[in-house]
Amino acid sequence: MSALVLPNRRVEDWKYSDLRNAIEPAAVESAPTAEWRVDVSGAVEQSPLPEIMPHGRHGEMGVVAAARATSGVFLHIGKGERGTAHLELVTAGHGRTLIVVEDGAMLTLREAAAFGDFANIAFDVVLGVNAQLDHIREAAAHNDAVRVSDYSIRLAQGAAYRAHFADFGAKLSRTELHIALEGEGAEAHLSGVSVLGDTGHADVTTHITHAVGNTQSTQLFKLIAGGKSRGVYQGKISVAEGANGSDSRQTAKGLLLGERAEIDLKPELEILADDVQCAHGAAVGDLDPESLFYLRSRGVPESEARALLMRAFLEDAVAEIADETIRADVWSRVEAALAELSA
Amino acid sequence: MLEINDLHVAVGGKEILKGLSLSIAAGEVHAIMGPNGSGKSTLSYVLAGREGYEITSGSIRYRGEDLAAMAPEERAAKGLFLAMQYPVEIPGVTTMNFVKTALNAQRRARGDKEIDALGVLRLVREKAKALHISEEMLKRALNVGFSGGEKKRLEILQMALFEPTLAILDETDSGLDIDALKVVADGVNALRSPERAMLVITHYQRLLNYIVPDRVHVLSAGRIIKEGGKELAHELEAKGYAQIVKDAA
Ligand SMILES: Nc1ncnc2c1ncn2[C@@H]1O[C@H](COP(=O)(O)OP(=O)(O)OP(=O)(O)O)[C@@H](O)[C@H]1O
Ligand SMILES: [Mg+2]
Repeated sequence: MSALVLPNRRVEDWKYSDLRNAIEPAAVESAPTAEWRVDVSGAVEQSPLPEIMPHGRHGEMGVVAAARATSGVFLHIGKGERGTAHLELVTAGHGRTLIVVEDGAMLTLREAAAFGDFANIAFDVVLGVNAQLDHIREAAAHNDAVRVSDYSIRLAQGAAYRAHFADFGAKLSRTELHIALEGEGAEAHLSGVSVLGDTGHADVTTHITHAVGNTQSTQLFKLIAGGKSRGVYQGKISVAEGANGSDSRQTAKGLLLGERAEIDLKPELEILADDVQCAHGAAVGDLDPESLFYLRSRGVPESEARALLMRAFLEDAVAEIADETIRADVWSRVEAALAELSA
Repeated sequence: MLEINDLHVAVGGKEILKGLSLSIAAGEVHAIMGPNGSGKSTLSYVLAGREGYEITSGSIRYRGEDLAAMAPEERAAKGLFLAMQYPVEIPGVTTMNFVKTALNAQRRARGDKEIDALGVLRLVREKAKALHISEEMLKRALNVGFSGGEKKRLEILQMALFEPTLAILDETDSGLDIDALKVVADGVNALRSPERAMLVITHYQRLLNYIVPDRVHVLSAGRIIKEGGKELAHELEAKGYAQIVKDAA
């Protein structure tokens, strides 16, 4: 008998992503330890995981990954240094990754989640004073795969975390972020696009805690769902008692392409401080028929017009990617996915 | 060029055009005038192929072909252009990119060679200058935050670029200041040729001082109730629609 109970739709936080429905507990229990291909440049050092890991908050599956992975990847970048790292999973399974960016250092992290099968990865990320991490994750379409990534990210004073998540769908894809802004002036800017067709699923769940005052966060997520796919964004913002002067802005928008597709957006605010700025908005709609007609009346064929409007819908979220080369890469993947959706 | 015969059109189950007939020959400019709600924009949308405008009876032939059977983009590729009364705002698509996409889509459909980015830029700049449209405007999202007059000028810019065979202008003069009106009229007149035709929908005789029509039609309650030469526009301005409708009855 298996003792492992997988998160399922009865658990509030997993309401739209029923893991129990997607995979057998036995398959989770017997999954091997994940292996990576790691390319680094600049001052990034790579070593085995240390004995003592930082105490970051993880979700249910992150805890499982941390307990079951017997080895992992540790990337470290020293004070004031710069570097880039490219992570690619070569063997699926339970995985663990530790990333430490020391004071004043800058790291660009690219992550390709192009695996099939089952993967469940716990990431611990620690940013020192004024450290910077730019993180881009591209998850290719794999409608047989079950993939869970659980990130715990802690930011010291003045540190900045910028991340973009492009997800093209899996049987079940869950990206979960627990971000703690622990030092004054720390900021986290999250953005992402989910472009889903067929039976694809992608769930991005973010929880940002403004633990101290004068911290900033933004979240901008755009989801497109066609076919029988399902896109989910859950965004929780917590502002701790006394964390005055915190500023948080969240926008999540969904575009539904058919009657059988589904998009669930769930913003959540938990504010215990007095003097804070929080704004959030969530909306799901269809492609605007008037815009479509306008474009077609000027000679743009229907499928091209649809793709153009979808691209326009995603524009501001992809524009959040600062690096021009990476942004162009993400666009080319997005455009390929859109072409399939509008065909 | 355009032959509309006993056209009946319903929108949302309600009949709006009730037996409209109109024919325009190549080289001609026709004007349609008529009170608010008489069906002028409905006619323009039907000609451009907007969804939800159901032709319940009658026919439209354009250059000898059945227009109703064509998709909107096909009509555009075959030279039909509608300058809309209310141009649509599309965030996330820059004006320049849109113009380039549309121009090349039409060329592709006609089997012409596409124009490269630089070529389009040169072409657009040249036409934009004549219409007093700034570079800055072309970089902005399509029609987003444009003033009423700017939107209308952008419609005319597109007309100048696409060089349509049949141009329909739906109240392009509304919201234009006097100088802009002249600029727009010049743009329209520059396109007049024996191969092209135009249908100008307007409320004001003023525009017709600049774009002198061959024929004027008065549309009321979904039908053409009176036709005449350019002097009919003056008569309308003097008498008002109510009197003309009464005279026609
Ligand atoms: N979707 C719709 N459903 C029902 N009625 C409609 C719809 N669209 C237009 N109408 C009606 O059709 C009639 C004609 O409208 P249309 O826009 O063609 O008038 P118009 O002659 O262009 O008027 P204006 O001079 O004000 O621009 C109006 O009574 C309008 O309310
Ligand atoms: Mg009208």
